[in-house]
Amino acid sequence: MVGSASGMSTAQLRPGGGLERWAERHLRVLMLAPTVIILLGLTIFPSIYMFYAAVHKISPNPDVPWDFVGPGNFVRLLSDQQFHVALLNTTVFTVLAVTVEFLLGLGLALLLDKYIRRLTFLKTMLMIPMMLPPIAVAITWKLIYEPQFGVLNEIMYRLGLPLQAWAGDVDLAMFSIIVADVWQWTPFIFLLMLAGLASLPVEPYEAAALDGASSWRQFWDLTLPFLKPVIAIALLLRVMDALRLFDLVFILTGGGPADRTKVLSLYIYQVAYRFADPGYAAAISLFVLFVTIILSTWFMNRMRLAD
Amino acid sequence: MLRKLFFTLAVATSVLALNGAAWADITILVPSGSEGDGLRAAAADYAKLKGTKVEAVQAPYANVFEQGANAGSTKSGVFDIILMDDPWIPFFAENGHLEDLTPFFKSAGMEGPDSDFLSKSLAICRNPYNAGPYVCLPYVGNAQMFFYDAAKFKEAGVDVPKTWDDVLKAGKTLTDGGGGRYFGYVFRGGQGNPVVADFMPIFWSYGADMFNADRTKVTIDTPEGAAAMKTFMALRDISPKGVESYNANEVGTALAAGTAASSINWPNWVATFEDPSQSKMVGKISYSPIPAGTKPGSSEIGHWTMGIMSASKNKQEAFDFMVWATSPEQIKISAERGNPPVRASVFTDPELTKQEKFRHYPVLMEAIQASTPRPRHPKWPEIENAFGIELSKAVAGTVTPEEALKNAQDAVSRITNIY
Repeated sequence: MVGSASGMSTAQLRPGGGLERWAERHLRVLMLAPTVIILLGLTIFPSIYMFYAAVHKISPNPDVPWDFVGPGNFVRLLSDQQFHVALLNTTVFTVLAVTVEFLLGLGLALLLDKYIRRLTFLKTMLMIPMMLPPIAVAITWKLIYEPQFGVLNEIMYRLGLPLQAWAGDVDLAMFSIIVADVWQWTPFIFLLMLAGLASLPVEPYEAAALDGASSWRQFWDLTLPFLKPVIAIALLLRVMDALRLFDLVFILTGGGPADRTKVLSLYIYQVAYRFADPGYAAAISLFVLFVTIILSTWFMNRMRLAD
Repeated sequence: MLRKLFFTLAVATSVLALNGAAWADITILVPSGSEGDGLRAAAADYAKLKGTKVEAVQAPYANVFEQGANAGSTKSGVFDIILMDDPWIPFFAENGHLEDLTPFFKSAGMEGPDSDFLSKSLAICRNPYNAGPYVCLPYVGNAQMFFYDAAKFKEAGVDVPKTWDDVLKAGKTLTDGGGGRYFGYVFRGGQGNPVVADFMPIFWSYGADMFNADRTKVTIDTPEGAAAMKTFMALRDISPKGVESYNANEVGTALAAGTAASSINWPNWVATFEDPSQSKMVGKISYSPIPAGTKPGSSEIGHWTMGIMSASKNKQEAFDFMVWATSPEQIKISAERGNPPVRASVFTDPELTKQEKFRHYPVLMEAIQASTPRPRHPKWPEIENAFGIELSKAVAGTVTPEEALKNAQDAVSRITNIY
């Protein structure tokens, strides 16, 4: 018998022969296989590997074996001041940036949906920041904030206002990062809200109008409850993304001044690549993953309960 | 037939993609900027001359360290040579990522690098510093110098700034008269490497150092350190607003645009300042050694050095390339391409020194010979980060200079386990 690598005979490989029947019998498995393989390779294996790394002290010297430290890397999180600073900064950034983006995005969507529905050009323009690569956004804002030659200080100067060190001032640096993030990601919320508004049923509004409900009343009692699932998804996606903030901070401030903009992603990067301590970096990453899962679950449960 | 052709092309493309730069005989990891551009140009010349295929992979400054460390810790052998910033040498050498060059010198019938290299340039290529075996060869002779606008300093009553007091005196006059648009001094205040790099020469010029001589004590929080910090804070007060976030580009731009009168800077910026298309200050900037504090000034050395990665499969070819690229002829060509040399014969070559753009060479050679290396420690990136955070806090005014020194002392002690 002439065998193939899989042990099938030539007769089986012939079209219309055994191969076809075999493929038909295992069609479900065959169709799922690529996805499962990709999932295993890109998600499951790295996740398991990260768990494994997080309980080891890994030397940058390849000849030094990995040292099992159990929960040691996680215990270290409790006393690591830089981690605490990064955690606080990430929380501040996430809460402020996502809140502002949500309010602006919802407001813009209501405005454009209700009053200037036909201005599709304006809607497209508003979405441009979201389409730009984060690195391009960061460099653009770096140039805007540049204290000596930046356009923002040039405007301040011409208006006779005091010049500011936007990204270099301890009191303004986080604010500057938030503004850049709001500029880029408000369109994302706006887009989702606009889609949500477009799908609202008309009848309840007609009934409410007949009953003499004010616009505010209609917004509060109809629009917001109807939009709740969309709002939940938008906020969830933005919170998860904000927790991973890296590009803007890396380019604009590098985590400074005085650690005021050091966020968790930047700290993980530093620990893993600058301090060559991938075990501890894996532990911090797992912490962030854990927080994200808890937040998402809590959030989704609350939204479901509210429904 | 078409299917077969398509299949063959697909396989060939995949193999090429998987192998990356495997077509090359030697692969070199170099930084972006003039240092990497120079070595990449040299690699092209070498390929033409010797028929050896040399691939230069360029990455931004921080990524060179990361990619080198990754290649070293995974023994990937993807890079044969790494062009390193000298403070990285202890990390790479002590973690087994660099090849000891002694056997290669021996088999080439050489004792080691020749004596035309500057002694300070060679000292950093030995690990431990100036004592152990050679693990690299110096390629770009960076050491900081003091850059200043001589005319402005003269206007402010200082002919040549020899001490930090001179700089402060002239700088204050210029900043006070600058109306918020012109400043007497500018420095890299960005957290991490930038602020540390611009503080260390001041630190040393007041007799301070990070460790004592036998490395048994961290010595940041000392009276000498406090004196250096006092000067640093005074310099901050005459610098532009926002200096807390400045890196090399912002400082270079301020000098080239003529909005700041002085700074500590690296010699590879000379080419920019002397280029009319990039600078308003062509021919107007003077170069001097680092000013003195209570002790003679000392530059921070920041050489770019070439080492062979331990996992390289082409070590002999890599060594041959390194010896060729650091020969007097090639270092001269490298100098003409804008990279400061590491050889005395090139520093004093009349063909170069008679040119206006190399007028800083005598000062630079002196600066290298009077330079100090950053503390040689395999955990230097972590030490630099911790020190940089505290310096950044002091510059930003969120802690007092005294607190910054104390916190830095504690942080460095914790990292190095030296109490």
